[in-house]
Amino acid sequence: MRVTIKLFATLREGRFKVENWELPARASVKHVFERLGIKQEEIAIILVNGRDTQVEYELQEGDAISLFPPVGGG
Amino acid sequence: METDLRRYQRNQRSISFEDQEKLFRSTAAVIGCGGLGGYIAEELARLGVGRLILFDGDRLEVTNLNRQILATEATLGQWKVEAARKRLQAVNSSIQVECIRDWFQEDSADPHLQGANIVFDALDSIPARLALERTSHHLGIPMVFASIAGWFGLLGVSLPGDFSVKKLFGRQAQEMRGVEASWGNPAFTPAAVASMAVAEGVKVLTGREISLHRSWLHVDLLAMEFERFEILD
Repeated sequence: MRVTIKLFATLREGRFKVENWELPARASVKHVFERLGIKQEEIAIILVNGRDTQVEYELQEGDAISLFPPVGGG
Repeated sequence: METDLRRYQRNQRSISFEDQEKLFRSTAAVIGCGGLGGYIAEELARLGVGRLILFDGDRLEVTNLNRQILATEATLGQWKVEAARKRLQAVNSSIQVECIRDWFQEDSADPHLQGANIVFDALDSIPARLALERTSHHLGIPMVFASIAGWFGLLGVSLPGDFSVKKLFGRQAQEMRGVEASWGNPAFTPAAVASMAVAEGVKVLTGREISLHRSWLHVDLLAMEFERFEILD
């Protein structure tokens, strides 16, 4: 299945802004983290098609996954 | 002190006389007087928000000079809220400034925040921000939340019952360490994000339509990208 991966803020460093990936059927958000080499605690916000989503979510054809790091300073 | 209204005159097309009256009669709490909070308080004073309640339990130190408007070589060592009071009264002597020389604490903040029309989150951790949202909601006070790290920031407006911060960060907020720990906050990030927070706050106080209600703005000053996301249930 084809999905779009969008990275934001510091997650782009050494990676990319947007990529289209081919993933095996039933792959989850966790699978995306693994392929990116990002640990779960490095991600604060996961949006799939603009909606807040958990790591266990099973991706669907055409999904757009947006990932954000924790931005907590003041 | 008598207010010389000429100082607001040139704002009039943007902020009408009626809206200015609303700002004079408003009380805003600024929780944290660091990078964001210093600029937020500065702008609220220049806008003529009548009463400011400032929270911060810290003194100014040399590492604050890179970004905090309250930090000058002359103010190092002073309590941040006291440095803020001096600066804000020098900017606008007709406003009231109340200082709480302590950290925001969920179990003791109520008496200080009672009567505030708006709360500005300028805290430096996600768990503290979640606690402030609970407090603001329970007191029925609109909250503008904002946070920064490196070239990046985010902000939004959480009205009582929205729990926008909880929906945004609730996933694993307790164990999460923000990337600001390694990216720092260069001067332009707090200044830019604080200004956006104040613009939203003015809309809340004057009854204008709020742009970031049940949504948040992702601010990327490196790519100069600003993207708004809905906060869905």
